[in-house]
Amino acid sequence: MFYILQTSCISPQATYPPPGAGAGIGAAGIGAPRAPVDNMLKAVEPSYEGIPGSVLRRMSKSVKMGVGAALPLLSSVPQGILIGTGNGGMEDSVKFLKQIIDYDEGLLTPGTFVQSTANAIASQIGLLHHNNGYNATYVHRGLAFESALIDAAMLVTEHPGHSYLVGGVDEISNHHYRFEYTEGWYKKEDLSGKDLYTTDSPGSIAGEGSAMFLVSGAGANALAEVKGILTLRSEDDNTVKAAIQAFLERYLPAGTLPDLLLSGENGDNRGFSGYERCEDMMAPDTTIARFKHLCGEYPTASAYALWLACNLPPVLPGHLVKRLSKEKPYRTILIYNQYEFSQHSLILLERSL
Amino acid sequence: METAQLKQQLKQQIIEFLNLSDIIPDDIKDDKPLFGEGLGLDSIDSLELIVLLNREYGIVIKDLKEGRKVLVDVNTMVDYIEKNRTK
Amino acid sequence: MGVISAVGNSLAENRSALRAGQGGITLSRHLPTRYAGILPFGEVPIVTDDLKDKLSVTDPGITRTTLLALHAFREAIADARLTESVLSDPATALVGATTVGGMCLTDELYRDMSGPCEGSAFLSSYDCASVHMYLQDRYKMQGLATTINTACSSSANAIQFGTRLVRNGRARRAIVGGTDSLAKFTINGFNALQILSTGHCRPFDRDRSGLNLGEGAAFLVLEGEEALAEAAGGEAGKKIYAELTGYCNTNDAFHPSALSAEGDGPYLAMKGALLSAGLNATQIDFINTHGTATENNDEAESRAIVRLFREPPPFISTKSYTGHTLGASGAIEAVYSTLSLEYQEIYASLNFEQPIPGIGLQPVQAYGVCPLRHVMSNSFGFGGNCTSLIISKVN
Repeated sequence: MFYILQTSCISPQATYPPPGAGAGIGAAGIGAPRAPVDNMLKAVEPSYEGIPGSVLRRMSKSVKMGVGAALPLLSSVPQGILIGTGNGGMEDSVKFLKQIIDYDEGLLTPGTFVQSTANAIASQIGLLHHNNGYNATYVHRGLAFESALIDAAMLVTEHPGHSYLVGGVDEISNHHYRFEYTEGWYKKEDLSGKDLYTTDSPGSIAGEGSAMFLVSGAGANALAEVKGILTLRSEDDNTVKAAIQAFLERYLPAGTLPDLLLSGENGDNRGFSGYERCEDMMAPDTTIARFKHLCGEYPTASAYALWLACNLPPVLPGHLVKRLSKEKPYRTILIYNQYEFSQHSLILLERSL
Repeated sequence: METAQLKQQLKQQIIEFLNLSDIIPDDIKDDKPLFGEGLGLDSIDSLELIVLLNREYGIVIKDLKEGRKVLVDVNTMVDYIEKNRTK
Repeated sequence: MGVISAVGNSLAENRSALRAGQGGITLSRHLPTRYAGILPFGEVPIVTDDLKDKLSVTDPGITRTTLLALHAFREAIADARLTESVLSDPATALVGATTVGGMCLTDELYRDMSGPCEGSAFLSSYDCASVHMYLQDRYKMQGLATTINTACSSSANAIQFGTRLVRNGRARRAIVGGTDSLAKFTINGFNALQILSTGHCRPFDRDRSGLNLGEGAAFLVLEGEEALAEAAGGEAGKKIYAELTGYCNTNDAFHPSALSAEGDGPYLAMKGALLSAGLNATQIDFINTHGTATENNDEAESRAIVRLFREPPPFISTKSYTGHTLGASGAIEAVYSTLSLEYQEIYASLNFEQPIPGIGLQPVQAYGVCPLRHVMSNSFGFGGNCTSLIISKVN
């Protein structure tokens, strides 16, 4: 499908700036994870010194994180920019909405309106680097990032030799958090000091972040190859199981299964069986790891998972591991993620080890 | 209000309204062009300044063409405010 | 194909209005906005409750945007004779686009935001994805589905993305399109940018003074050769309107809400579309322009056309009929371009009197029948997102 050449990530952990080439994140990114506060994992934001003040002043948090994470990858001048975002622009949309109400549709400032559009992230990245290439934004909630990946997979086939910037970005919007909380997607109880994965209750914790990837069809010096992507909408057990099975048979050599399953299990006890279903399809010697205690739950959390998969140290920190099978290089990694139970995605990655 | 005071107040309001967090009022010279080479504001800022003049001083500027004549620098803005404010 | 707009609830009604030169821009009858009696809009003249009844929708929390999408979607799948099993086929993709999504529910959103959030039925409907997730559920669609938001070029991008899914073998057919409904949110946003006209919009006219916002939806069923061959073997009469032969997505990269004076993004998009279709500029018989009637767009688009086409082909803006339907515009205008090809006709561009000084381009001003082989359709949006499509007659 395509190769990942470089990665960059702003997240609730110390993952930015990206380390030098070949360095791997080691313990710095995920050694001693930061815990949620008020059941939220907010991003550790850099100073954004690469973004001119005249532009930075207008940006919403998701645009800042998107542009900030993209900057280290732009010196390679990609031929296109593809961004997935579920809630991008929501906070600024609400700010503008407040103005509409407060001033009764009178004279309003347009800045927040312009910044509230979901495509502001991709277009600001393009604007800052005068990039006239392909520019797209996908907003299909839990599959927004995967949609961008699928587009990138097609683009590298259509334009051999080109490289593309692909990313997934979301911020914790206070208002969106309230809606999601009311709908039961977040824990009602305080999780301080508790393990997300053993609280036997519905809901998860809110997260945010921006993960960016420079991808191309050429594999020289690549960190990893994305070999397969699947997106699915279903709440039927059998349908999901059959889709996972077909995916594994299609993209893995016969009789083999991944070295590592990176699972989007998020502590919501209503989703356990769904993730267990995927775990049961793995080999006995597949290690199972989880990532949402690091990034929280948000529509493009799978982008964080892909970043993590590309940057894992040879020995996994204990907090990542659900089931450690025999220690071996984690070359073939399957990421399985669900969003709100009905949107499923699978990404199969082969790392250059 | 004295003109000098109004200028200082306006500079502070411009900074807050346009979120120019890396400058202070003294950085904005009275005759420094707001657009182009000077403060470097753009077309969206000009619309925002029209809203500022309305909300703080009750001034109605009908459109951008009219706005361009007023929004040259702090001097022209203060001059216009003094002549047209209703608040 | 399927379409609903200010000028009609179906393909036939839209075509009838276009042929007659009858625009649908009026003062609003239904919008709960203080601009209802002041600004003209391209409003679909059916209130939301009536749309719900017409479409037999009883689910709570369904927005006007979703209803408009459903209306056009139904017409498209019936027109393409897609059976239930074809719709549920994992090889059938759904690529939709919208910029407003559920933000048409300004008042409900405000209540949900500011009250002690008990949660209205709309809590999960405010985003753009909700529109297409509803269609997925209603029609039990199991194939790839996604939602695109690139401002005014959104549904043009849905069309090129769906085309490429089929060409790359990731789907056998793709139902693609876009929707937007009139909303206080966008009305006030565009008003704050001072680009709304108080009169009927005048695309490419010297005295144009801004756009009229509109609403609507359009869907197109794109089928690959394999799917068509199957259909040909099965029930007779499957209509093929045209072929998507070219497309290009570029970014103007000049300003968040304005195009560069020389129209770099539009120029590159149109040029790239020609390249992807293997055509040269002289082979384009007609352009359905983006033509919003803002000072900025029409000048930039005109300059780009003059740069690319030594002899600019005939062109119109159908926004003088429907208003600017934002996320739906790419799809609605692709449908109109396809109707032009199907019936070998060009519709009049309304409200034009004097060309833009220094450029001098004049749109077609009267309905006419003429041979058309390749039609270009342009969509340029905020954030510099520019997409150009080329639709061609099938031999």
